[in-house]
Parts: sequence; C-alpha cells; structure tokens
Amino acid sequence: MSNNEVVMTIMATGDAPRRNWRQLVSSDASLGIALALPVIALMAAFVFVPVLITAWDSFHRVSPMMPGEPFVGFKNYVTMFSDPNVRNAWWNTWFYVVLAVSMQLALGLGTALLLNGMRSGRRWLLAAVILPWALPPVVNAMVWSWIYNPHYGLLNGLLLKFGLIDQARVWMNDQGTALVLVTLVHVWRMMPLNAVILLAALQTIPRELYEAAEVDGASRFRSLRMITLPLISGALGIALTQSTITAFNIFDEAWILAKASAITRPIQGQIYMTAFQDLKFSYGMAMSITVMLVSIVVSAFYIRRIYRETRFD
Amino acid sequence: MVSFILRGTGQRLAALLLLIWSLGPVYWALATSLMKPRDIATSPINFFPPEITFEHYRKLLGGLIGLPDETGIWYDFLRALINSLVLAGGATVLTTAIAALAAYAAVRLRFPGRNLVFYMIVATLAVPGYTVLIPLYRMMVSLGLVDTYSGIILIYISAYLPLAMWLMRSVYESLPLSIEEAAYLDGAGRLYTMIRIVIPLATPGLIAAAILTFLGAWGQFSVPLVFAPTAATKPLTVLIPEFATKNYVDYGLINAAGILAMIPPALVVMFLNRFLLNGLMAGAGK
Amino acid sequence: MKKIIPGARRRALSTAAAALSVALFALPAVAADKITVLLPGRGYTPEILQSFEKDTGIHVDQQTLAWDQLHTRIITALVAGTSPADVIELDWSWVGQFGAAGWLEPLDGKLEQAALDQVSVLPIFKFGGKVVGAPYNNDFKMMVVNADHLKKAGIDKAPRTVDELLAAGKAIKEKGISKYPFGLPLSVGEATSTAWYLVTMMYGGTLFDANGEPAFTDASSGGYKALAFIKQAIDDGLIDPASTAYGNPEVREAFKAGDVSFILSDGPGPLATYNDKEKSRVAGNSVGAVVPNVSGKTVTYGLPEALAIPSASDNKENALKFISYVLKKDIQELYYQQEGNLPTRQDALAALNGEGKLESGDAIVEQVASVQPLFAEGTPAWYPPFSNAAASAVNAVATGQSTVEAAVEAIATAAKSAKDE
Repeated sequence: MSNNEVVMTIMATGDAPRRNWRQLVSSDASLGIALALPVIALMAAFVFVPVLITAWDSFHRVSPMMPGEPFVGFKNYVTMFSDPNVRNAWWNTWFYVVLAVSMQLALGLGTALLLNGMRSGRRWLLAAVILPWALPPVVNAMVWSWIYNPHYGLLNGLLLKFGLIDQARVWMNDQGTALVLVTLVHVWRMMPLNAVILLAALQTIPRELYEAAEVDGASRFRSLRMITLPLISGALGIALTQSTITAFNIFDEAWILAKASAITRPIQGQIYMTAFQDLKFSYGMAMSITVMLVSIVVSAFYIRRIYRETRFD
Repeated sequence: MVSFILRGTGQRLAALLLLIWSLGPVYWALATSLMKPRDIATSPINFFPPEITFEHYRKLLGGLIGLPDETGIWYDFLRALINSLVLAGGATVLTTAIAALAAYAAVRLRFPGRNLVFYMIVATLAVPGYTVLIPLYRMMVSLGLVDTYSGIILIYISAYLPLAMWLMRSVYESLPLSIEEAAYLDGAGRLYTMIRIVIPLATPGLIAAAILTFLGAWGQFSVPLVFAPTAATKPLTVLIPEFATKNYVDYGLINAAGILAMIPPALVVMFLNRFLLNGLMAGAGK
Repeated sequence: MKKIIPGARRRALSTAAAALSVALFALPAVAADKITVLLPGRGYTPEILQSFEKDTGIHVDQQTLAWDQLHTRIITALVAGTSPADVIELDWSWVGQFGAAGWLEPLDGKLEQAALDQVSVLPIFKFGGKVVGAPYNNDFKMMVVNADHLKKAGIDKAPRTVDELLAAGKAIKEKGISKYPFGLPLSVGEATSTAWYLVTMMYGGTLFDANGEPAFTDASSGGYKALAFIKQAIDDGLIDPASTAYGNPEVREAFKAGDVSFILSDGPGPLATYNDKEKSRVAGNSVGAVVPNVSGKTVTYGLPEALAIPSASDNKENALKFISYVLKKDIQELYYQQEGNLPTRQDALAALNGEGKLESGDAIVEQVASVQPLFAEGTPAWYPPFSNAAASAVNAVATGQSTVEAAVEAIATAAKSAKDE
C-alpha cells in the first residue's frame, strides 16, 4: 500500500514547487516531507500514541481490581525505588546487559570478519550461523532447558562423559551460574543479528584500502583498528544499541529456564508479574517506561562515544 | 605463502568452532525430534537417538503426502506455516521498501524537523513490547484489525522499521556523494537518482535490513499471541507451544516443529546471500 | 460507572490513533448466530462443536492457545475493556482477580440447576456469593505410583498414611529400586506452591484459619510440617535435589523414565500418558492413588477449570447456550473419551467408572469425594502474589538457602502485604 501512496504523493507535491526559493532545496524539502509523512503517521499510530497513553497511565492508579483511576503523580515511580523486588530485578538486568552486549559484540564481529574474509562456503556458513535466530523462541527455550536439565541434559551429559564433573550438577541453583546460563541462551539466539549488521557494513569497505595498508606494512590487527573499525563505526553503533535494547528486554529465556525465580528474574519479568499477574497495571507500566528511558540513555551514551572516537581516528 | 596457509587453517578452525556453537544445540533439537517420546528422558543421556522415528514429522507433514494421522495436526501446522510466511514476507517487503525511501529522505533531503523525526523513530527501538500492548490492543479492536494479516503486518512494520531505517541511513551516509551529483548534473531528478542509482548501490544494506526484518518477524511471539487469535492468522511461533498441554508436553513434536520452522529463514538467507555479499563490491570497485 | 472519564479519554485517543492510521480496511462482518470460544490446548473436538451447531444453529469459532500463554491473552483483552471471546477459560486461580475486576457475567439462575447440582467443585468459582464460572474440566491433586517399584520393595498396596509413605520411600531407596523415590516440583512456579498446599493437607493443615490469618507459621501446623517434610526428604535422598529446577513436566518425565516411584502432587490427567508404551517406560505400572494423610483419611483440593462469559461480550445469550450444552452429562462423557478431559459432573464420572472407562477409576472416585476447598471463600484476588511467595520460599528451603522458620515467616509476610493492597 504505502509504496504507491508515497509515489503518488511525491508526484502531486513535486509538480507544484515553490519556485521563489532555490528550486533544489524546495523540491528536496517537499519530497522529504512526502516520504517521511506516511512513516510518521504509522509510527504515531502504532507506537507514539500508545506509549503516551501508557506514560499517562503510569501517573494514575490503574488497577482493574480497584475502582476508579485517580491521578497519583510520581507515586508509582517513587515506590519503585524502595521496592526490593524491583531493585533485585534491575541488578540481574544490568548483569545480563553487560555480559550479553560484550559477548554479542565480540562474537558478532568475529563472525562477520570471518564470513567477510572467506572465499568459499560462505553462504552455507552464513545460513548455519543464522539458524539459532530462526528457531521459534519457545522451542529455543525448551531446547536449552533440556540441555541444562541436571539428569537428562546435554551439558551435564557431556561434562560427566569427559569426567569434568563426577555427579550431576543443578546449574540453576547458583545465582552466578544461572545468570550466565540465561545470558548464554540469549546470546546464542541474538548473535546472528549483530553478525548480519556488521557483515553488511564490512562489505562496503573497498578492498583497495586494505591493499594499501598491506603495502605500508600494517599488521592485520592494526588495519582492523585503523581501517575496519572506523569505517564500520555506524554499524557498530547500531549493533551495540540493538544488543543493549534486546538485553534490557530479556524475559522468555529467564522465564522458561528458571520460572519466576528471583535469582534470575529480569526487570521485564518483574513487569510481567506486576502488571499481568498481580494486575497492578500502572505500577508495571511505570517500570516499563523506566526501562525504555534507561535503554535509550545507555544507547545514546555509547553511540556518542563511538562517533567521537572514530571520527578522530 | 606459509602465512596464507596458516591463515586458511585459522580460518577453517574458526569456522568449525562457529559451526559447533551454532549447530550444537540445533543438533540436540534434531536428535530429540527423531527420538521416540520414551527415549527423550534417559540418564545417562542418549547422544544419538537409540531408535530413529519419523512419527513427529509425519504428524506435522503427513497430510501433504497423503498420510494424515488421526490428530489432524498437519493441517493446523500447514496453515500456521503459511501464516508465518505471509506475515514475515509481507512485513519484510514493505518494511524494506519504506525504509529505503524514508532513510534516503533522512540523509539527503533537507526538510524541517528531519533529524528530530529520525531520532524519535530510532528511539522507538527501545519501546518494550508490553509497554504498548494494551493501548495498541484497544486501537486494533476499534479498527477491526485484530486477526487480520494487514493489522499484524502494520504492527511488524512499526516494530522493525526503526532498525531498518537506521541501517539504511548509515549505508547511504557511507555512499560517495559524487555519484549522485554526477547523475543530478546529467539532469536526472531526485526520485530517479534515488531509485535507479542510489538504492542499487545500497543493496547490501537493503538485504541486511530484509534479513533482520524477516527473522525478527519470523520469531515474533508476543504480537501474534495477542493479535492473531485464530487459525486464520496464527503463525508457527504461537501454534508450536500448544503442543505442550497441561498434562503432557510433547517434546518430540515441539522440536520437530522447531526444526521445520528453521528451514524457511535458512533458505531465504541463502537466497539473499549473493546480494548481501556482492552488491556493493561490484559498484564501488568501478 | 466508575471508569467513565478515563474510558472516554482513552477512546478519544484511540479514535485519534485510528484516524492517524493511513490504511483503510473493511470491518469484518458479524454473523448473526456465531460465538467465539477461547480455550487452552485443543479445546472441544470438532464433533462436539458440530453437534452443538446442529442442535442450536449457532456456529462456534473456537480459538485455542497454549496454557502458559492463555492468561496473558485474556488479561490483555480484558484490561483493554474488550472481550477476548464470548466464552473464555477461567482457571480456579483467577477467580478472585477476575471477580474483583468485575470482568465476568454472573451465571446464577441462568444454567440448569439439576446440572449444577452434579458439580461439586462449583463453589470454587463463586465470587462475592455469585457463580462466575461453570466448571468443565475436573482436576485435583492425587498421587501417582509406580506399582512395579512398590511390588519390588515388597509393598502390596499404595501408602495411605504419611508414615507408610515415608517407609515405602525408604524401602525403595534402600533396595536401590529408584535413587530418589519421591517426585515433587520445587522450582519457583505455581506447580511448587500447589505441591506445598497439598503436603500441608497431608499433615492435616490448612493455609488460613477461620479468621483468614495464616495457619502455617506454628511449628505444629500442617504448613510448617510440610516444609520440614520437604527439607528432610531432600536431606534423606528421598527427593532429588535436582527437583529444585523442576516444574510439573520435568517431574513427569522422570516418572515416565522410571527414575522416581511416586509423584506426590500429580493429578488424574496424565495417567493415560504414563500408561502409553510409546511415551513412557513405566506403561502398565502407573496407577493413581489417593493422597496419603496423617489421619489415614485422604484429603485433597481441586484445581478445576471453568467456562466463563466476559461482561464485555455482546453475545451472552448464545454463550450461555454453549455452556449449557457442554455441561450435559453425555457431552462430558464424550469429551473424556475423545480428549481425556475429566468430567466435573458426579453422574458422568460414576457412569464412566461403572463402564470401566475411567483409568484408576476407583481411586479417582474416592479422591473426588475428598476434595476440599483450598480457600473457603473462593480463590482470593491476592492469590497470585501469595502463590509466588510460597513457591519462592519452598524453593529456598529446598536449595538450603532458607530455614523452615524463615520460610514460613516470609510466606506469612507476603500474604499479609498482598492482602493489604
């Protein structure tokens, strides 16, 4: 639908430019607006307005079991800071974010570089790499919960077979291990996304640049640092942001592996329990708005850093 | 020469490790899908199915080869597969097309509020699904869009457009302006330059955006859970968990369905791969 | 009504959003005699739906969802002020919340009294004195036993007291028949809290006293002893420590593998699977048995599921017709034979058992007669946070992170704060 509409709008507006200004600028502006308007309308209807309604609700007491929806100001936000469950969920979430983002970036970059440098078999390897991402999330979580199963799982099975442990271990009982195992499931599924983003960027770097660097006697690491990374900085920013946001949204993995257990419960799990199980709707939405703002701030922070660092190199 | 061989070996080793990491758990799902239900939980574990059975695949696909079983699950599975393809395919084509045009506007066309609009759209990447679920549901009901392809595809577009646009913008930014200027000086219009010259050069970005959207939509769970309630639109991600009932979790069937669900995205990626890897190299080298 | 202003505000915003949306779509046509039904699993069989349509001329559009996701779907629609379907699933644990939110249509006087009289679990679905759900799926806690393991240990009948149970477990363990005889889910989930309630009842206890105060904090109470039982059983190697990572499905897999001899808190539903040679290694040896009790007289509680009509449905008449239809004795019997859905009507159960069609029928019939309500006044609205606190505390005791004293205190505190809100 939108394609035709866009083209038609462009034609309609493009025919009547304001010729009293510089023609280029004016037609550019109307074309730009014509291209942007449908997108703005779509995003407004499906995202901005719903977010505003939710934000509005978060300043009220919306709880289906209680009559009325009185305005409560910042009460939901204030309560959040003294709620030990929320604090605990935030700590778990920060752990996930730090570990998942660093693993996803390192593995994603490594994979993209490997695929980029391969001469044969590349399409097969790429197809294999994206498979984890294609596994439906519920199946993914089930496969992993069996892998981690103390008696019937692959992890203990392999460790026992190779004599690395002498009896079955219950991995999800130890908080540190459990957090790492949940992160691993997430990274396994989401890493291909980073690989694809970075691979697309690597493909835009002309080979001549590397040849010139090789003539200058630059080491491979140095050309990675001096040529590759600056040239794919935009994509790195996208991959970092994407990983950060998905890590802030970890939920299914923790839920299926350890149910509502507090030692692995992420903030999204806390939101789900608050809003959908306990039906304290606006309190859950206040947390949800907070997660959104925090992930925007964190992402904006390192996008700025990346741009600054790489632009100067 | 020696270093070339070493490099080749290192590369092969890295590729092998990558394959083990990616395919190990997939193998485990495959092995489970081929086991009889009674062989799934054994201690010590079976690394290979002790007795291979295709019963789960038969249940899911039997009707296609004239061997339907009494449960009739194959029919639901086939419908869900088609729904998944329509939803992910539709969302991918539209999102990529819209992103290609809108991101161009965000890079090359000056209009008031350009950056603000772009940043606001990209910022919606951070909106968690549950944040908008209830207001969105209310709106979808009032528009009569629940349980329709168009409604779900519109939500998918709004969810995956920000990433696709951002990716396309960064690709356009890296393209040399000189090519466009040359075309412009030759008398070509903006729209013509964009569609005929710029977008072809940006193919790898476009393909990457398409892959991201397709896989994102393919794996979407919470949106269709709420907005695709009946068999008319329900995709695989929502159907497969139904094989776990309160009394019996059919692990074999769930894993078999998961293995089958991985095939279409793998085929799509293999097909798109040549554009992803060759597109710009050819253009920029000239 | 209470939400006029915010509702109007929302509607205005929704309309604005609708207007913003660029696309035009035809509104789906509403057929005159059609209802939607939202159920878990595979729902009713096509035969039942077709015979209903033949009988009444009403077409049923059945929607199914996985059990785990059903709640989210229903809540989303209800919070949004819409009806998820004309007839919806209502689990016993949702009654307090849905009732307090005013989401459900009272059914009193609208269904045939003779039918309701047959349904002993009906009071579970009362809120504020009104019936809000018609039970269609009978479920209650009972024990499942591997008869072959018992025989090998020289025990000829299933234990009926807690002492007999412990003795049987120890005998089985000592003879090496199974390494961990007792299966019990102990991860942080609903399966674990409901298991603890059952063990509480095994020790003759209740969760709350007549004044609604926690009745599990005293060392002589059933709830306290239940936690102590779980801890001792883990220390003695009667319960697998890995159970702290298990929910119901994992415990059941262990039973089917022949690795545990009893599931203490199972139900009648999975028996058919346990005795299916293709799916289980203990086929032919799995029997249902009544829950042991310190008094020797079995007591259990029910976790039935009901059909309910959302207040927001605009098809209530036809929805009622559907509920009346599937509540008929012969339909309940047919549904059991087709899908293993245990009838809620006593007469249907008795008929099935009389014809020998009910697996472990005698135990089921005896257990049904001993079903007591978990909450005298119906499931309260604060049940979900209470259940979660109970599961966390039981898990903490099982993993050794908490003592029994601390755990009962934690549950009591959570119950109080959940109630106060």
